[in-house]
Amino acid sequence: MKLLFTLSFAFLLYSSIFSQTKITGKITDEANQPLPGANIYIKNTYDGVSSEADGSFSFTTDEEGEFVLVVSFVGYQSYSEYLTLDKKEKYLEIKLKEESTELGAVVISAGSFEASDENKAVILKPLDILTTGADADIYSTLETLPGTQQIGETDGLFVRGGSASETKTLIDEMTVQNPFYGSVPDIPSRGRFSPMLFKGTVFSTGGYSAQYGQALSSVLVLKTQDLPDKTRSAINIMPLGLGGSHTQLWEKSSFAFEGGYYNLAPYFEIQKQRPDWDKAPESFEGSANFRFKTSKTGMLKAFTSFSTGALSLYFPNLDSLPKKDFYHQKSTNFFINTNYRDIFWDDWTLFAGYSLGVDNIDNEINNNLANTDDLFHTGKVTITKNVLSNTFLTFGGEFQNLDHTNSFNDLEGNINETYLAGYLEADVFFTNDFAGRIGVRTEHSNQLDKTNFAPRMSFAYRLGVYDQLNFAYGKFYQTPDPDFLFFSKNFEFENADHYIFNYQYIGTDRTFRIEAYYKNYNNLAKGSVMTYPYFNLPDVPFGSNGKGYAKGIDIFWRDKETFEYIDYWISYSYLDTKREFKNYPTLTSPPFSTPHTFSIVAKRWIQPITTLVGLTYTFATGRPYFNPNNQEFLGDRSKNFQNLSLNASYITNVLGNFTVIFFSIDNILGYHNVYGYNYSTDGTVSAPILPAAHRSFFIGMFISLGETNPY
Amino acid sequence: MRKSLSVILSLMFLTVAIADDKYEKEMKKNVDKISECKIANDYLKLANNFERIAVAEKDKWLPYYYGSFVTVLASYIDSSNSRKDIYLDKADKFINAADSLSPDNSEIFTLKGMISQARMQVDPMNRWQKYGADANNNFAKAMQIDTLNPRPEYLIGVGLFYTPPQFGGGPTAAKPILEKSFAKFEKFVPENDIAPNWGKDQVADYLKQINEGK
Repeated sequence: MKLLFTLSFAFLLYSSIFSQTKITGKITDEANQPLPGANIYIKNTYDGVSSEADGSFSFTTDEEGEFVLVVSFVGYQSYSEYLTLDKKEKYLEIKLKEESTELGAVVISAGSFEASDENKAVILKPLDILTTGADADIYSTLETLPGTQQIGETDGLFVRGGSASETKTLIDEMTVQNPFYGSVPDIPSRGRFSPMLFKGTVFSTGGYSAQYGQALSSVLVLKTQDLPDKTRSAINIMPLGLGGSHTQLWEKSSFAFEGGYYNLAPYFEIQKQRPDWDKAPESFEGSANFRFKTSKTGMLKAFTSFSTGALSLYFPNLDSLPKKDFYHQKSTNFFINTNYRDIFWDDWTLFAGYSLGVDNIDNEINNNLANTDDLFHTGKVTITKNVLSNTFLTFGGEFQNLDHTNSFNDLEGNINETYLAGYLEADVFFTNDFAGRIGVRTEHSNQLDKTNFAPRMSFAYRLGVYDQLNFAYGKFYQTPDPDFLFFSKNFEFENADHYIFNYQYIGTDRTFRIEAYYKNYNNLAKGSVMTYPYFNLPDVPFGSNGKGYAKGIDIFWRDKETFEYIDYWISYSYLDTKREFKNYPTLTSPPFSTPHTFSIVAKRWIQPITTLVGLTYTFATGRPYFNPNNQEFLGDRSKNFQNLSLNASYITNVLGNFTVIFFSIDNILGYHNVYGYNYSTDGTVSAPILPAAHRSFFIGMFISLGETNPY
Repeated sequence: MRKSLSVILSLMFLTVAIADDKYEKEMKKNVDKISECKIANDYLKLANNFERIAVAEKDKWLPYYYGSFVTVLASYIDSSNSRKDIYLDKADKFINAADSLSPDNSEIFTLKGMISQARMQVDPMNRWQKYGADANNNFAKAMQIDTLNPRPEYLIGVGLFYTPPQFGGGPTAAKPILEKSFAKFEKFVPENDIAPNWGKDQVADYLKQINEGK
C-alpha cells in the first residue's frame, strides 16, 4: 500500500514536470496595436498571465485535454476559444474587439451641448449651471454657449437667428408651454425651474432627434433627478426672500417639497432701479416632488409646482410726456409632470408621461384689462428596443392640447389646438467609429388641418480617441403662434431645414468644437397682428409666405489644463440671418440677431478661502432696432453690448451645517448698455431700452441642515 | 472491499484538501504581492491574477474582493482621470460579483465605500454630493454588519483627513475616528491567512502625522 502511494506521488511529480504545455502569443486590437494588461488564462484553472507592454504573453499549464482559453480586458469583448492541451507549444495571435457599449463608442452629437454627471466626457457639468453667470439660471448659463444671442430685454433663448418661440423646453421629455415667470415689456423674467431639479441637460442648437417637434430652432431637454442620495433639509436666506426645502428618502421612494416667498422691494430700496416701480415684484412659490423605484429598472416620477406673483410699474408715455402708463401684472403658474420608465423583457425600454401646465397672466394697463390664459396638456409614449446587435429602434407618439385664451376688456379670443405626432428613429452603430441616427416624424395640427412629414438624420464619425466629425440634416415644423390663428386658419406649418457640420475634440481636460450651419426657413406666418412697435407700416395680409435664412459658425473652447486651478471656456458665434415674417415689409435682419457674439467664462477654486470664483465676460455687436424715421426697415443698429459679471460661492459651516454663501454682481465695468429704442407714434420722441439697473447684485445664504460632512 | 472503499474515500478527501490548499497558497502568494506593487500596472497584473482564481473557484468571494481592492489601488496612483474611472468601473464589477457570493459582508461594503471615495476624488467639486453620500451609506452598512471591523472607520478618517476644515474635515476632525479605528485594529484578528487584514500601519501613520503636526 505504502509503495503504491509513493509510486503514485512519484508519477504525479513526473507528470507535473514533463507534461506542461507552453502557450505564447500576442494580443492586439483590431488595428494591430498591442494591448498590454489583458488577462489570458485557461478557464477553470489558475493558469494564465497578463500581456506585456508589446502585447506578448507566455505561460505554461499542467492541464491536459480539451480546455477553453479566455482573454479578457476592460473595454473589449471577451475572447474565448477551445484549445487542446497536448504538451505541444502553442502560438496564438488574438485580436480583441472593442466593446461598443463602453466608453469608446462614438456619440452622435451634432448641434448639441450636454451637461451631465455621467462619467463620460461631456462639455458641461450640472455644477457649471449653478456657478456660471450672475443669477444661477439655466437660461443665462446657456447664453454663454455659442449659437445663442444676448437679448437683454426679453426672456427666452434666441438660437441661431431664431425667435424665442422657436426654442422649446422639455422636462423629462415633455414640452413645457411656458418655462418662464410672467414678464412685462423690456424687463425679462427668469426661468421658473430651479437648476437643482435636474441631473442632466441637453441643449440642442439644431439638427435634433425625431423625438422632438414644434421647435424650428432649438430644444432644451432637461432630465430630473432620480432618487436623492439622502434625507436632507435646506434653508435659503436672501435679502429678496426666504425659502426652505425638505427631502425625505425611504428605501425605494422619496418625497421632497420646497417653498419660498420673495419680495424685491427691500432690494430695490438699496439698488437704484430704472423702471418706475409702483409695487416691486412679489411672489410665492411651492413645489413637490415624488420618486418611486418600482423595480430594479423602473422609476415613477411626479413633480408639481405652483407660483403666483404680482407687480406694478409706470412706463413713460412717449406720445404725451410726461404722462405715464400704469401697468399691473398678476401671474400664476401651475405645472404637473408625471412619468414612468422601465425596461421589460430584457431590452424593451418604455417611457410614458403626462404633463399639465396652467398659466394665467392678468395685465391691467391704464384701466384696460388684458389677460392670457393657457391650459396645456401633453402626453407621450416612447419605446426603445435593441433590434440588432448594433441597432436601437425608438418609436412613439405624442399628444398636445393647448387651450389658449386672450382677452382685452370685453373682447375675447380662444384657440383650441390639438396636435398629434408620431416618430420612428433608428440609432445604428455601423462600426465602433461610425454611427448614424435616422428618423422620421409626422405631425398633425387640428387648427391648420394639415399633416407634415419631417425626416431627420445625424451621423458621427470618430477620427481618433478624442475627436470626431458630425453631420446632421433635418426638417423641423412648427404651428404658427396662436395670435395668428385668432385671425385666420389658412396657414401652413412654419418650417426650417437645418444643415450642420461639426468637428469636435473632447479630451479629459480640453474641449474644442467648431460647427458650421445653414438654416433655411419657409412658410413663416405673415400678417399684421401686433403692430407695436412697428407703427405706420403697410398692413400685411395673413398668409404663410414668410421666409428667411440663417447661416453661421459657432466655436467653443474649454480648457482646465493650461492654467493651474483655472477652468475657462470661450464661445464665439458668427451669425448671418435675414427673415421676412409677421408684418415685416422686407427681408431683413431681425432685432434678435447680431453678427458677432463672444463670451468667456473663467472659474477658479481658491482653497485657502474655500471659495469658487467665477467671471463671465460677454461682448456682442449691436442689434437692429426699429426707427420710424429711417426709411430702411430695421435699418438702425444699437451700440455694442458688453458685460462683465462676477460670482463667488463661499463654502463654510454655520452652526455645524454645510453652508454656501453666494454673491454676484454684474456689469462690473459700468458699461452703459442700450438694447434699442422705443419711439413715439410720430417718431419725434425716443427713449432708450436699458437694463433694469445699471448694475445689479445678488447675495444669498443656502444652508443644508444636518449636512456637516460632505467629504 | 471495505478497505478499498476507505482508500478511495481517503484519496477523495486528499484531493479536496490539496485543492483547498492550492487555493489558499495561490491566494496567499498574491495577497502578499500587494505590498510589493509600485506602479498602476503592477496592481492591474495582480487584479488579473485574482480574476483568474475567481473564475476558476466560482463560489469564493475573496478573489473578487481582492481583484476589486487592487484595481482601486491602481486608480489611486494613475494620473489620468478618465483611466481612473475605467478602473473603478472594473472594481465595481468585481465587488458586485463578490457581493452576490457573500451578501451582507462588512468587508465588501467597506470596499464599496472605498470605491465611492475614489470616484469622488476624480472630480470632487462635481461628485461629492453623490459619491460622498454613497461612501457614507456603505461605511454605515459595513459598521452595522460588523462593529469590530476597523477598516470602515479607517477610510472615513482618511476621507476626513483630506477634507478642508470648512467642510467639517481636517486632521482634528479625523483624529478621534482614526483613534477608534486603531483601537479596533489592536484587537482585530483575521479569520485566516488570506482574509482582509490591511490598514493598521496606515492608521498608525496618519495618527503619527496628526500628533506631530500639533
